[in-house]
Amino acid sequence: MKPLSLITGNTRGFSIPSLIIGIVLLGALFCFPSFVQSPYALHMMILLFLSTIMGESWNIIGGYTGQYSVGHAAYYGAGAYGTLVLLQKWEIPPWYGMWAGMAVAVLLSLIIGSICFRLRGPYFVLASIAVAEIVRITVLNTPAVTNGAEGILLSDLPPFKIGGTVITDFVSKVPFYYISLLLAIFTIVVTWLLQNSKLGYYVQAIREDQDAAHSLGISLSLYKSIALAISAALTSLAGSFYAIYIKFIDPSTVLSLDLSVQIVLIAIIGGIGTIYGPLIGALVLVPLSEALRSNVIAQGLINCGVVREDSGVGIFLKEHLAHAHVLIYGILVVIVILFMPDGVLGFVKKKSRDWGLGTGKGLDR
Amino acid sequence: MAILEIKHVSKFFGGLAANADVSFTMTQGMIMGLIGPNGAGKTTLFNCITGYYPPSKGEVLFKGKLMNGLEPDMVCKLGMARTWQKVRPLAKMSVQDNVMVGALCRTGSLKKARELAMEQIMVVKLEHKADFPAGRLTIGERKKLEVARVLATRPELLLLDEVMGGLNPSESEEIIQLILDIKKQGITQMVIEHDMKAIMRISDRIVVLNSGEKLTEGSPQEVVNNPEVVKAYLGDFHA
Amino acid sequence: MTSSVLMQAIISGILVGGVYALIGVGLTIIFGVMRVINFAHGDLMMVGMYLTYFLFTQLGIDPFVSVIITIPTMFIFGGIIQKLFINRIIGSLPQNQILLTIGLGLIMSNSAMLAFTSDYKILTTSYSSSSFNIMGISISQPLALSFLITAVITLLLYWFFMKTDTGQAIRATAQDREAAQLMGINVKRMSIIAFGLGASLAGTAGALISPTYYIFPQVGSAFTLKAFVITVLGGMGSIVGATLGGIIIGVVESVGAVTISSDWKDVLVFSIFLLVLLIKPAGLMGKSST
Repeated sequence: MKPLSLITGNTRGFSIPSLIIGIVLLGALFCFPSFVQSPYALHMMILLFLSTIMGESWNIIGGYTGQYSVGHAAYYGAGAYGTLVLLQKWEIPPWYGMWAGMAVAVLLSLIIGSICFRLRGPYFVLASIAVAEIVRITVLNTPAVTNGAEGILLSDLPPFKIGGTVITDFVSKVPFYYISLLLAIFTIVVTWLLQNSKLGYYVQAIREDQDAAHSLGISLSLYKSIALAISAALTSLAGSFYAIYIKFIDPSTVLSLDLSVQIVLIAIIGGIGTIYGPLIGALVLVPLSEALRSNVIAQGLINCGVVREDSGVGIFLKEHLAHAHVLIYGILVVIVILFMPDGVLGFVKKKSRDWGLGTGKGLDR
Repeated sequence: MAILEIKHVSKFFGGLAANADVSFTMTQGMIMGLIGPNGAGKTTLFNCITGYYPPSKGEVLFKGKLMNGLEPDMVCKLGMARTWQKVRPLAKMSVQDNVMVGALCRTGSLKKARELAMEQIMVVKLEHKADFPAGRLTIGERKKLEVARVLATRPELLLLDEVMGGLNPSESEEIIQLILDIKKQGITQMVIEHDMKAIMRISDRIVVLNSGEKLTEGSPQEVVNNPEVVKAYLGDFHA
Repeated sequence: MTSSVLMQAIISGILVGGVYALIGVGLTIIFGVMRVINFAHGDLMMVGMYLTYFLFTQLGIDPFVSVIITIPTMFIFGGIIQKLFINRIIGSLPQNQILLTIGLGLIMSNSAMLAFTSDYKILTTSYSSSSFNIMGISISQPLALSFLITAVITLLLYWFFMKTDTGQAIRATAQDREAAQLMGINVKRMSIIAFGLGASLAGTAGALISPTYYIFPQVGSAFTLKAFVITVLGGMGSIVGATLGGIIIGVVESVGAVTISSDWKDVLVFSIFLLVLLIKPAGLMGKSST
């Protein structure tokens, strides 16, 4: 029960054992680069943190407020383009540029909010997609600023200085590791603060029943807009980070509908409306997509002798499975929705209750 | 002093009048019963008063202030709160959290809201279920939760929409006592109810609606002795 | 720009709009009956395109003739999807419905990619680029033909919904699912027929535009978005509205392409969509409540 309660249990107070586990885990994450130098391992960890940031950010509007956005790529792209355009064109360092990206993201979110949050029904989902598509096409068609479909390749990143002293020069992955880790922790802390605030109670009330919430003195459009703005701001941070880490962005990687869907998946697969759901989602999705992308699965099937390498199926899998990793995503979504509608976390919670693990109270929440 | 004035309120849906030229006044501290056969426009009138629909015609004045066009959240903040005929618990949140949402209308502090919520939970005697998810309550408990939650918003005028519907006699009796206790606190109430015996006991005055129009208004005695009311109800039963 | 260019654009917009209308009507039927927004709608269209491509290249069947095969095949395909997946989530959280259909769409488009690679395919018929002139306005022959077929299908659809028992049962289900069930209508069966109809309309639209459009696995998502715009514009659940919406969007796109630029035509369409949400969210044919 104890380790389980850390992820599934009472999220309001912290029990002593879960606090200890948390501290040990954080300590291990902070020491990780001292023990593991492999750039690949660091890269994987960075992707994991990045996905966590995206999932947690989306969770604020989708999971806690119950407003499903399938256009979060717009905010991600605003962060990425805001940062890189300013850096490439005017040599404004990213730690300033990201604020511009964030401002654009928040502005976009307010526009969407003012149009849709008066309405009930599926309009918000549809409008969020429409706005994201408008942003993508606009970026594509204004090459003077954004380089259009070619994208922006970052030639060199200035070292980070505080008053003349160089703090880091970004030659290794280690600074990126720490930045993304801190950002991930930051988004989790923001989510925790939200859950324990008036705003958190209000948005959850809106998620549960809009009419009831409205009658209890909650302004629906105001609180939905605040939640969306916070979510957009955090998502833009993820986008800014991605841009300076990968050093290349184009509309199809940072503004696509696929990206929007992926962001939703991270939260859904883990379990929405919980602090740790998106983290679990990232833990499932990042290794899975990496395994598919790098052909580990096809190679694994061949190595296990399930299919022969020189057989038609073997060649077919090796050639195509890497390209079709989205297919596995699709199957995963269908399975999750049909069989685990509350995500992996909800599924574990329910099973643990069915099997009589734990003592009700913490798990009921 | 008049706390609520309804002046010639009409509400049309398409060509249909759900409320037609309804007028009445409520004074501070009273309990007004609102009765009428099904489809008489009682809930529609609640919705018009509390900002869910703008009235098509007429005015709603609360403490002398025009309420037309205000959103439900503003109406609640100004001190007029309603419950729902079909209860609306915030299913995944605990009973205490449900009531806290109401209490947060008057305070920004969670600690304060938690205390206020606990007070109201005790008033409706749900303290043993405070940590229960609201979605798992029985219908009787849900009705009580609905009242506790709305009381937590500190209303001056409370509109109760069939809070006894679907309850057994002992649960109904509890609610009746609750309504009378709320009256003692000085909160004005408007109550929609089908149980005639209950409404006769608690109401100071009764307004009868029929087909969207006000049929009559008076003391409980006057209303039961009015032949038109009897006709409207019999008509309903034979329809 | 001369007025004949504009006229030309309007005419071809109307012709393309007929096909859009089919996609929109399919989506609106599914939404009307199930209250589910089908995010896989464009992907159903894509399946129709590949089916047509397959029939044309392997069996030499003309795309417009192949509609006779596409309609029943897609109807069965849609019915199976409804029975296996959608029926299980009717009445559940709208977000879960949305994600389920997104998932199904991803499975369809990526299966197509595995089967046909992500190359763009072009279906060239002898008349693909031929056109005829009426009063100095040149009209593309395949577009005109597809518009004719669209018109016939739409009329048949109206007849089906207005005159047949099944059609009326579906309309009753759309109006009030519970009441329909109480009246002895087999609601699940009606849902299967409705999704089958929606899928076959989308598939038919795919077949009809395949001679004039690139065929590739991801072609669906653009059309899914277009279908949303069309249905919201017409009023969700309204068949007349969707027909009208389809033609309006076709004209807007085609006029936008000649007056502004074809790069920006989608921005124009989405802006109109947002504007409708802002001004008249119930859509052109929707009932507004006051």
